[in-house]
Amino acid sequence: MSDALTEERAAVSEAGSADRTIVGFFCRECAYAAADATGNARVSLPTTIRSVLVPCTGRVSPLHLLSALSEGADGVYIAGCLEGQCHYREGNFHALDRIEFAQNLLESVGVERERVRMFTMSAADSPKFVAAAREMHETISALPPLKRK
Amino acid sequence: MPLTARGEAIFERLPGSAPRISTGAIGCQIVRHEELCIGCGRCASVCPSGATAKGQVFDPMQLYSAPPDSRRGALGVALRAIARHQPSGPIEVPERVSVFRTIVFDASRCLGCGACARVCPTGAAEALPVPAAEIASSSSLASAREATA
Repeated sequence: MSDALTEERAAVSEAGSADRTIVGFFCRECAYAAADATGNARVSLPTTIRSVLVPCTGRVSPLHLLSALSEGADGVYIAGCLEGQCHYREGNFHALDRIEFAQNLLESVGVERERVRMFTMSAADSPKFVAAAREMHETISALPPLKRK
Repeated sequence: MPLTARGEAIFERLPGSAPRISTGAIGCQIVRHEELCIGCGRCASVCPSGATAKGQVFDPMQLYSAPPDSRRGALGVALRAIARHQPSGPIEVPERVSVFRTIVFDASRCLGCGACARVCPTGAAEALPVPAAEIASSSSLASAREATA
């Protein structure tokens, strides 16, 4: 928990000057590989995206998602393997349900549920990775900045 | 002592047995402290009568009342920071989210065995002993004595 959380906090605080911040949790097996391919192809990503590497999307807990939001992010997303292709068998299914739980939790306190989302892609599918990042960027840009107490 | 549903079914199959009327349990009084509950579900798995079970919904207020150094408490702190209003009531919990569920306790089915209090890691389920006066006047004991006399 602590490593991913520390990394996430660093990612949030370095964003400071940018208008909005989106934290992405990327699965090492698929989405991170897709992100590498994106970098090699020199395709630019929205500058709001801050990436956090996780071994599997099943590692991401509701606490990761909500603490990212409470500490400066306007949106959080998880990018992982296609359904049924998780390298740890069921990690992405757990992530899907936790995303849904976090969305329900946000909705119950009056925060838009689109701030938390999940995308799936294969390791070779860097266009889909870029599309997910841009979609998330557009969704969050359309929403007002997240207010914190 | 009330029988479990299975016990009741067996009892009714016995030849010549009159339907037995429950006379009320004697045993510990189970007091639940929901703010300490971490949702591990051990109480539900050891409960012999099904009085304690894992619920289908989760009440976000439990996150606010949890001790701040606990995992639920940390989630509560994060949620409080971004919340626009108080949680609007219990939320649906997806299938694979297992710890964020409110434990449902049905006192009318409780045998007072105290198994839940014994396995509870946080002291959320507490078994209070029955006062001696109540044991003396217990209807189930009195009727048991009559039956044996």
